[in-house]
Amino acid sequence: MTESLIWWSIAIYLLIAIGIAIMSRQGPSESMSGYFLGNRQMNGFVSALSYSATTYSAFMMVGLAGLTYAGGVGALGFEIIYFAGVSLVAVFGPKFWAVGKKFGYVTPSEMLGHRYNSKHVAMAVSIASCIFLIPYSAVQLAGVGYLLQGITDGAITFTTGVVLATVIAIFFSYIAGIRSVMWTDSLQAIMMIVASTLVAFLVIQGLGGFGALFDTLATEHPQSLTVPGPGLFSFVTFLGLTIPWFFFSISNPQVSQRLFMPSSLRSMRHMLIGFLVFGFIYTMVSVLWGFSALAAFPSLASADLATPTLLASEFVPPVLGVIVMIGIMAAAVSTIDSIMLTLASMVSRDVYANVKPNVSEKRQLLVGKFVVPVIALMALAFAELQLDLIAVLSVAASSGLVAMVPALIGAFYWKRGTGVGALVSVVGTSAFVLLMYATGNSLLGLPAGVWGIVVASVLFVGVSLATKPHQATTDAFFAAISEELSKKRSTTTDQATKEAAA
Amino acid sequence: MKRSKWIWLVWAVVLLSYLVPYTLLSGVALWYGSFLFWMLAGLAIIALNVFITKDFEEHSND
Repeated sequence: MTESLIWWSIAIYLLIAIGIAIMSRQGPSESMSGYFLGNRQMNGFVSALSYSATTYSAFMMVGLAGLTYAGGVGALGFEIIYFAGVSLVAVFGPKFWAVGKKFGYVTPSEMLGHRYNSKHVAMAVSIASCIFLIPYSAVQLAGVGYLLQGITDGAITFTTGVVLATVIAIFFSYIAGIRSVMWTDSLQAIMMIVASTLVAFLVIQGLGGFGALFDTLATEHPQSLTVPGPGLFSFVTFLGLTIPWFFFSISNPQVSQRLFMPSSLRSMRHMLIGFLVFGFIYTMVSVLWGFSALAAFPSLASADLATPTLLASEFVPPVLGVIVMIGIMAAAVSTIDSIMLTLASMVSRDVYANVKPNVSEKRQLLVGKFVVPVIALMALAFAELQLDLIAVLSVAASSGLVAMVPALIGAFYWKRGTGVGALVSVVGTSAFVLLMYATGNSLLGLPAGVWGIVVASVLFVGVSLATKPHQATTDAFFAAISEELSKKRSTTTDQATKEAAA
Repeated sequence: MKRSKWIWLVWAVVLLSYLVPYTLLSGVALWYGSFLFWMLAGLAIIALNVFITKDFEEHSND
């Protein structure tokens, strides 16, 4: 891989992506929902690809392959349980969508604040999301830096890689807000699924086919085909990893905000099914990469080298290697720009507008646009500093965001839930998870990933029962859901009437 | 049975995805052990979601 090949490829990618981003514009968006939600008019296909690109960060290809290399088939189980958790969209998606439409919510935190009639809940959820997701973005950026530096043998330095990814992420979000982000996400998702499947195919062919690959694994690394296997995936570790990820689709605002965006429930369905098909292929491909690396290069110094080694091997033509490398960079960008936009909308809508009442929509949007690069620069600074604390916060992100889950489920299913209960649950669990990670992440032998959901539920239910719910907002919220979701297409109703008459 | 109730089958697949590989399949070090099990679990999740969300098509946007 020569340096000029890499720079040319990056330039071509940028040219295409910028073209797509510019084409995605639809006149100036002057409202919060226009800029951050695409006017709630996103179609299913783009939504599905963008949802996939946002969810699957750079670490799917590097991290999951590495996890398979080190821990065996348990890595597949971990992803499949996360994947099954996305079915929560089938349950919560229509409800999110209905209240979003009815009350004009822009952020999930705004929804919780309104449902529990508490500005503090909205603010707490927004701030906690920033605390966990900015470091998570920083680690994504650092990952791009290491990857580019590693694959090019230092021709592209760590700092160049990190700055490049940050600039691209800011740029993509500025062109047309969520619209340009979703369209460039789609480009990235398509490019990645094609290139990575091709790599898996070529490598497996090179190793003698699927049968030969698994024969090698069965004879030389039999433990990699079972759990607990080589030891990484003890049952407790597996639980600790999978429980927070199971709730990812509702706990992470950058994806739950997507539930406000589809133009119809039909589009939401297409988003969900499209994501599941994409995610399934991507998961299988990443796991097969890890297995292939284990069969071909069993003695790597570190599992994180599995993907770079595979890409640089004789099985993969250099051009394809470069495409995947750019794809991995783009994957980081597509995750970060969505997180930036979501956090910016939360800061402006739920923190700024709550601290300073009566601010106009236009002013909120202005603040939101100002916050986007601030968040990006914070992530950039964290990535450059490479502090241990940041790594800890990033790892804690999935466990920490579980803090919102009981309050969210309660919002839709438990009328007795109260604002104080939600607030104590979110703040208390976030603090608890941070404390767990700071002190070795083990309490009575169980990790924060297991404790988080327990602590959050106990706090939410316990404090709610000790306090009084706000009846009026609760009733309005539930009424809106049943009203909105009872609307059937006239054709089917007509048909049903006719059938009944016959 | 209401279509949405089928979500419980999804949760059952999740439960089995914890139980089966760690018990029945923990000694099957072949491709048709946990690898195949989790792969089929993934496909089952897709099929169930297609079925459960079928009603979404009938919802009116207005």
